[in-house]
Amino acid sequence: MKIMPCPLNGPRNISEFSYGGELKQMPAPTLCSDAEWAAYVFNSDNRAGVVTEWWLHNASSYWFLAERHTVTDEIIRTFDPKELFNQRVDFAAPATLEEASV
Amino acid sequence: MATLQARDFRERSPLSHRHAGATLGGLGNAVIVARYGADDQRAQLQRCALLDLSNLARVGFRGAHSADYLRQRGYQLPQAPNQALTQTDGSRVARLSQNEYLLLGSLHDAGGRIAEEERAWQFGATANYLLPRQDSHAWLLLTGAHCAEVMAKLCGVDLRAQAFPPGAVAQTSAARINVILINLAEGELPCLQILCDRASANYFWDALLDAMAEFGGKPAGVDGLL
Repeated sequence: MKIMPCPLNGPRNISEFSYGGELKQMPAPTLCSDAEWAAYVFNSDNRAGVVTEWWLHNASSYWFLAERHTVTDEIIRTFDPKELFNQRVDFAAPATLEEASV
Repeated sequence: MATLQARDFRERSPLSHRHAGATLGGLGNAVIVARYGADDQRAQLQRCALLDLSNLARVGFRGAHSADYLRQRGYQLPQAPNQALTQTDGSRVARLSQNEYLLLGSLHDAGGRIAEEERAWQFGATANYLLPRQDSHAWLLLTGAHCAEVMAKLCGVDLRAQAFPPGAVAQTSAARINVILINLAEGELPCLQILCDRASANYFWDALLDAMAEFGGKPAGVDGLL
Protein backbone atom coordinates (compact mmCIF):
# COMPACT_ATOMS: atom_id res chain seq x y z
CA MET A 1 0.00 0.00 0.00
CA LYS A 2 1.30 3.42 -0.93
CA ILE A 3 1.48 5.85 1.98
CA MET A 4 0.85 9.58 1.80
CA PRO A 5 1.86 11.84 4.70
CA CYS A 6 -1.14 14.09 5.46
CA PRO A 7 -0.11 17.37 7.11
CA LEU A 8 -3.07 17.11 9.50
CA ASN A 9 -3.48 13.37 10.09
CA GLY A 10 -0.05 11.87 9.51
CA PRO A 11 0.89 8.97 7.25
CA ARG A 12 -2.16 7.23 5.76
CA ASN A 13 -3.01 4.76 3.03
CA ILE A 14 -3.28 6.46 -0.35
CA SER A 15 -6.83 5.04 -0.61
CA GLU A 16 -7.92 7.60 2.01
CA PHE A 17 -7.11 10.47 -0.37
CA SER A 18 -8.63 12.02 -3.48
CA TYR A 19 -6.71 13.90 -6.14
CA GLY A 20 -7.84 17.49 -6.64
CA GLY A 21 -5.90 18.67 -9.68
CA GLU A 22 -2.87 20.86 -10.24
CA LEU A 23 -2.28 23.97 -8.22
CA LYS A 24 -2.81 26.89 -10.61
CA GLN A 25 -2.60 30.63 -10.24
CA MET A 26 -6.11 32.06 -10.58
CA PRO A 27 -6.34 34.98 -13.01
CA ALA A 28 -8.32 37.99 -11.78
CA PRO A 29 -11.92 36.85 -12.53
CA THR A 30 -13.24 40.28 -13.50
CA LEU A 31 -10.20 41.40 -15.53
CA CYS A 32 -9.03 38.35 -17.47
CA SER A 33 -10.27 37.28 -20.90
CA ASP A 34 -12.63 34.34 -21.44
CA ALA A 35 -9.76 32.38 -22.95
CA GLU A 36 -7.61 32.94 -19.87
CA TRP A 37 -10.46 31.91 -17.57
CA ALA A 38 -11.24 28.82 -19.65
CA ALA A 39 -7.57 27.84 -19.60
CA TYR A 40 -7.58 28.18 -15.82
CA VAL A 41 -10.74 26.12 -15.37
CA PHE A 42 -10.28 23.39 -17.98
CA ASN A 43 -6.66 23.01 -19.03
CA SER A 44 -3.90 21.13 -17.29
CA ASP A 45 -0.15 21.38 -17.76
CA ASN A 46 0.32 17.62 -17.30
CA ARG A 47 4.02 18.19 -16.82
CA ALA A 48 6.54 15.38 -16.41
CA GLY A 49 8.50 16.25 -13.28
CA VAL A 50 7.82 17.73 -9.90
CA VAL A 51 4.37 19.33 -9.70
CA THR A 52 2.28 20.81 -6.89
CA GLU A 53 -1.20 19.31 -6.60
CA TRP A 54 -4.30 19.57 -4.47
CA TRP A 55 -5.18 16.46 -2.45
CA LEU A 56 -8.08 15.76 -0.12
CA HIS A 57 -7.99 13.53 2.94
CA ASN A 58 -11.49 12.08 2.63
CA ALA A 59 -12.08 11.11 6.25
CA SER A 60 -11.39 14.59 7.57
CA SER A 61 -12.40 16.65 4.48
CA TYR A 62 -9.01 18.32 4.69
CA TRP A 63 -7.50 19.85 1.54
CA PHE A 64 -3.75 20.22 1.35
CA LEU A 65 -0.97 20.56 -1.20
CA ALA A 66 1.51 17.92 -2.24
CA GLU A 67 4.68 18.13 -4.30
CA ARG A 68 4.87 14.97 -6.37
CA HIS A 69 7.12 13.72 -9.15
CA THR A 70 4.76 12.66 -11.92
CA VAL A 71 7.29 10.24 -13.47
CA THR A 72 8.44 8.36 -10.37
CA ASP A 73 5.20 9.03 -8.41
CA GLU A 74 7.36 9.97 -5.45
CA ILE A 75 5.70 12.30 -2.93
CA ILE A 76 8.33 14.87 -2.04
CA ARG A 77 6.46 17.07 0.41
CA THR A 78 2.95 17.74 1.64
CA PHE A 79 1.94 20.97 3.32
CA ASP A 80 -0.99 23.01 4.59
CA PRO A 81 -2.38 25.46 1.98
CA LYS A 82 -1.99 28.27 4.54
CA GLU A 83 1.67 28.37 3.48
CA LEU A 84 0.54 29.87 0.17
CA PHE A 85 -2.96 31.18 0.90
CA ASN A 86 -2.45 33.50 3.81
CA GLN A 87 -4.98 36.20 3.06
CA ARG A 88 -8.65 36.24 2.29
CA VAL A 89 -9.75 36.61 -1.34
CA ASP A 90 -13.11 38.31 -1.82
CA PHE A 91 -15.02 37.97 -5.05
CA ALA A 92 -17.05 40.98 -6.12
CA ALA A 93 -20.08 40.07 -8.25
CA PRO A 94 -20.28 41.85 -11.62
CA ALA A 95 -22.55 44.89 -11.34
CA THR A 96 -24.62 44.13 -14.44
CA LEU A 97 -25.30 41.22 -16.77
CA GLU A 98 -23.71 43.12 -19.68
CA GLU A 99 -20.52 43.42 -17.74
CA ALA A 100 -20.58 39.71 -17.01
CA SER A 101 -20.95 38.77 -20.68
CA VAL A 102 -18.12 40.99 -21.99
CA MET B 1 -45.08 -0.06 33.31
CA ALA B 2 -45.39 -0.18 29.56
CA THR B 3 -42.26 -1.23 27.70
CA LEU B 4 -40.56 1.49 25.67
CA GLN B 5 -40.55 0.97 21.91
CA ALA B 6 -38.18 2.82 19.58
CA ARG B 7 -40.94 3.21 16.96
CA ASP B 8 -42.96 5.35 19.35
CA PHE B 9 -40.30 8.05 19.23
CA ARG B 10 -39.72 10.50 16.42
CA GLU B 11 -35.95 10.43 16.85
CA ARG B 12 -34.69 6.92 16.22
CA SER B 13 -31.23 5.49 15.85
CA PRO B 14 -30.48 4.11 12.36
CA LEU B 15 -29.80 0.89 14.26
CA SER B 16 -33.04 0.83 16.24
CA HIS B 17 -34.36 -2.23 14.39
CA ARG B 18 -31.14 -4.09 15.23
CA HIS B 19 -31.76 -3.95 18.96
CA ALA B 20 -34.28 -6.81 19.07
CA GLY B 21 -34.54 -8.31 22.52
CA ALA B 22 -33.00 -5.32 24.22
CA THR B 23 -34.50 -3.47 27.16
CA LEU B 24 -34.73 0.22 26.28
CA GLY B 25 -34.41 3.21 28.54
CA GLY B 26 -35.46 6.82 28.04
CA LEU B 27 -32.90 9.36 26.84
CA GLY B 28 -34.33 12.85 26.47
CA ASN B 29 -36.81 12.62 23.59
CA ALA B 30 -35.50 9.26 22.41
CA VAL B 31 -34.56 5.83 23.70
CA ILE B 32 -31.28 3.99 24.18
CA VAL B 33 -30.48 0.34 24.76
CA ALA B 34 -30.25 -0.15 28.53
CA ARG B 35 -29.26 -3.81 28.48
CA TYR B 36 -29.63 -7.13 26.74
CA GLY B 37 -31.14 -9.92 28.84
CA ALA B 38 -31.28 -9.82 32.61
CA ASP B 39 -27.58 -10.28 33.39
CA ASP B 40 -25.25 -7.59 34.57
CA GLN B 41 -23.28 -6.64 31.46
CA ARG B 42 -20.27 -5.12 33.21
CA ALA B 43 -18.10 -8.17 32.47
CA GLN B 44 -19.11 -8.01 28.80
CA LEU B 45 -18.23 -4.31 28.66
CA GLN B 46 -14.81 -5.02 30.16
CA ARG B 47 -14.13 -7.82 27.67
CA CYS B 48 -15.51 -6.56 24.37
CA ALA B 49 -18.84 -4.86 23.69
CA LEU B 50 -20.50 -2.60 21.14
CA LEU B 51 -23.02 0.09 22.11
CA ASP B 52 -25.17 2.33 19.96
CA LEU B 53 -25.06 5.93 21.24
CA SER B 54 -26.57 7.44 18.09
CA ASN B 55 -29.44 9.05 20.00
CA LEU B 56 -27.05 10.94 22.26
CA ALA B 57 -26.48 14.58 21.27
CA ARG B 58 -23.46 15.66 19.23
CA VAL B 59 -22.66 18.80 17.27
CA GLY B 60 -19.71 20.51 15.62
CA PHE B 61 -18.40 24.06 15.32
CA ARG B 62 -15.91 25.39 12.82
CA GLY B 63 -14.35 28.74 12.16
CA ALA B 64 -11.55 31.08 13.18
CA HIS B 65 -13.52 32.14 16.28
CA SER B 66 -14.93 28.77 17.30
CA ALA B 67 -12.28 28.22 19.96
CA ASP B 68 -13.07 31.56 21.65
CA TYR B 69 -16.79 30.85 21.44
CA LEU B 70 -16.47 27.43 23.03
CA ARG B 71 -14.15 28.68 25.78
CA GLN B 72 -16.71 31.34 26.63
CA ARG B 73 -19.31 28.57 26.87
CA GLY B 74 -17.15 26.86 29.47
CA TYR B 75 -15.43 24.14 27.46
CA GLN B 76 -11.84 23.04 27.87
CA LEU B 77 -10.34 22.62 24.42
CA PRO B 78 -7.61 20.22 23.28
CA GLN B 79 -4.23 21.83 22.60
CA ALA B 80 -3.72 20.37 19.12
CA PRO B 81 -5.77 18.92 16.25
CA ASN B 82 -6.67 15.24 16.51
CA GLN B 83 -6.87 15.34 20.30
CA ALA B 84 -9.89 15.09 22.59
CA LEU B 85 -10.76 16.00 26.17
CA THR B 86 -13.45 14.81 28.55
CA GLN B 87 -15.12 17.74 30.30
CA THR B 88 -15.94 17.80 34.01
CA ASP B 89 -19.61 16.99 33.29
CA GLY B 90 -18.71 13.98 31.11
CA SER B 91 -19.26 15.70 27.75
CA ARG B 92 -16.37 15.42 25.31
CA VAL B 93 -14.68 17.80 22.91
CA ALA B 94 -12.61 16.50 20.00
CA ARG B 95 -10.53 18.88 17.93
CA LEU B 96 -10.69 17.70 14.33
CA SER B 97 -8.56 20.37 12.70
CA GLN B 98 -7.02 23.75 13.47
CA ASN B 99 -10.48 25.35 13.65
CA GLU B 100 -13.01 22.52 13.93
CA TYR B 101 -14.43 21.01 17.10
CA LEU B 102 -16.80 18.09 17.64
CA LEU B 103 -18.84 18.05 20.85
CA LEU B 104 -20.17 14.74 22.16
CA GLY B 105 -22.90 14.59 24.79
CA SER B 106 -22.74 12.85 28.14
CA LEU B 107 -25.02 10.04 29.31
CA HIS B 108 -25.18 11.73 32.72
CA ASP B 109 -27.34 14.58 31.40
CA ALA B 110 -28.78 12.62 28.45
CA GLY B 111 -26.79 14.88 26.13
CA GLY B 112 -28.70 17.94 27.35
CA ARG B 113 -25.78 20.35 27.46
CA ILE B 114 -24.64 19.56 23.92
CA ALA B 115 -28.20 19.59 22.52
CA GLU B 116 -28.54 23.06 24.04
CA GLU B 117 -25.37 24.19 22.23
CA GLU B 118 -26.99 23.34 18.90
CA ARG B 119 -30.13 25.28 19.87
CA ALA B 120 -28.25 28.27 21.29
CA TRP B 121 -25.96 28.91 18.32
CA GLN B 122 -26.83 31.88 16.13
CA PHE B 123 -25.30 33.04 12.90
CA GLY B 124 -23.47 36.25 13.60
CA ALA B 125 -20.59 38.47 12.65
CA THR B 126 -17.88 36.22 14.03
CA ALA B 127 -16.50 33.23 12.13
CA ASN B 128 -18.12 30.44 14.12
CA TYR B 129 -20.29 28.09 12.12
CA LEU B 130 -22.55 25.31 13.31
CA LEU B 131 -21.99 21.81 11.95
CA PRO B 132 -25.07 19.70 12.70
CA ARG B 133 -23.91 16.13 13.29
CA GLN B 134 -26.98 14.43 14.74
CA ASP B 135 -28.36 13.29 11.39
CA SER B 136 -25.09 12.93 9.50
CA HIS B 137 -23.25 10.55 11.80
CA ALA B 138 -23.99 7.47 13.85
CA TRP B 139 -22.16 7.12 17.16
CA LEU B 140 -20.94 3.75 18.34
CA LEU B 141 -18.95 2.82 21.41
CA LEU B 142 -16.51 -0.05 21.32
CA THR B 143 -15.48 -1.03 24.83
CA GLY B 144 -13.14 -3.40 26.59
CA ALA B 145 -9.66 -4.81 26.52
CA HIS B 146 -9.66 -5.77 22.85
CA CYS B 147 -10.48 -2.45 21.12
CA ALA B 148 -7.14 -2.22 19.32
CA GLU B 149 -7.18 -5.86 18.21
CA VAL B 150 -10.73 -5.57 16.87
CA MET B 151 -9.94 -2.38 14.96
CA ALA B 152 -6.69 -3.83 13.57
CA LYS B 153 -8.88 -6.12 11.47
CA LEU B 154 -10.76 -3.17 9.94
CA CYS B 155 -8.43 -0.20 9.91
CA GLY B 156 -4.90 0.64 8.76
CA VAL B 157 -4.01 3.02 11.59
CA ASP B 158 -2.08 1.66 14.59
CA LEU B 159 -4.54 2.00 17.48
CA ARG B 160 -2.49 0.16 20.11
CA ALA B 161 -1.99 2.01 23.40
CA GLN B 162 1.60 3.07 22.70
CA ALA B 163 0.65 4.71 19.38
CA PHE B 164 -2.89 5.84 20.20
CA PRO B 165 -3.00 6.96 23.86
CA PRO B 166 -6.10 8.22 25.71
CA GLY B 167 -7.20 11.53 24.21
CA ALA B 168 -6.01 10.64 20.71
CA VAL B 169 -8.27 11.11 17.68
CA ALA B 170 -7.89 9.42 14.28
CA GLN B 171 -9.91 10.41 11.24
CA THR B 172 -9.48 7.51 8.92
CA SER B 173 -11.10 4.68 7.03
CA ALA B 174 -12.37 1.54 8.78
CA ALA B 175 -14.10 -1.29 6.97
CA ARG B 176 -13.82 1.01 3.94
CA ILE B 177 -15.96 3.83 5.29
CA ASN B 178 -14.81 7.11 6.80
CA VAL B 179 -14.78 7.17 10.58
CA ILE B 180 -13.70 9.38 13.45
CA LEU B 181 -12.10 7.31 16.21
CA ILE B 182 -11.67 8.86 19.64
CA ASN B 183 -9.86 7.13 22.49
CA LEU B 184 -11.72 8.41 25.54
CA ALA B 185 -12.62 6.08 28.40
CA GLU B 186 -15.98 5.94 30.17
CA GLY B 187 -14.66 6.25 33.71
CA GLU B 188 -12.23 3.34 34.07
CA LEU B 189 -13.56 1.43 31.09
CA PRO B 190 -11.31 1.61 27.99
CA CYS B 191 -13.42 2.81 25.06
CA LEU B 192 -13.21 3.84 21.47
CA GLN B 193 -15.85 6.38 20.46
CA ILE B 194 -16.62 5.77 16.80
CA LEU B 195 -18.49 8.17 14.53
CA CYS B 196 -19.39 6.97 11.06
CA ASP B 197 -21.73 7.89 8.23
CA ARG B 198 -25.25 7.41 9.57
CA ALA B 199 -26.54 5.82 6.37
CA SER B 200 -23.79 3.18 6.59
CA ALA B 201 -24.37 2.38 10.26
CA ASN B 202 -26.11 -0.95 9.61
CA TYR B 203 -23.25 -2.19 7.50
CA PHE B 204 -20.66 -0.94 9.96
CA TRP B 205 -22.47 -2.44 12.96
CA ASP B 206 -22.27 -5.86 11.29
CA ALA B 207 -18.64 -5.37 10.25
CA LEU B 208 -17.69 -4.53 13.85
CA LEU B 209 -19.65 -7.44 15.35
CA ASP B 210 -18.01 -9.77 12.87
CA ALA B 211 -14.54 -8.49 13.84
CA MET B 212 -15.45 -8.73 17.55
CA ALA B 213 -16.69 -12.32 17.37
CA GLU B 214 -13.31 -13.95 17.98
CA PHE B 215 -12.92 -11.92 21.19
CA GLY B 216 -16.36 -12.86 22.47
CA GLY B 217 -17.69 -9.41 21.65
CA LYS B 218 -21.43 -8.69 21.83
CA PRO B 219 -23.80 -5.73 21.72
CA ALA B 220 -24.49 -4.21 25.12
CA GLY B 221 -26.51 -1.44 26.74
CA VAL B 222 -25.65 1.65 28.72
CA ASP B 223 -26.75 0.36 32.14
CA GLY B 224 -23.29 -1.04 32.79
CA LEU B 225 -21.71 2.37 32.06
CA LEU B 226 -23.65 4.40 34.57
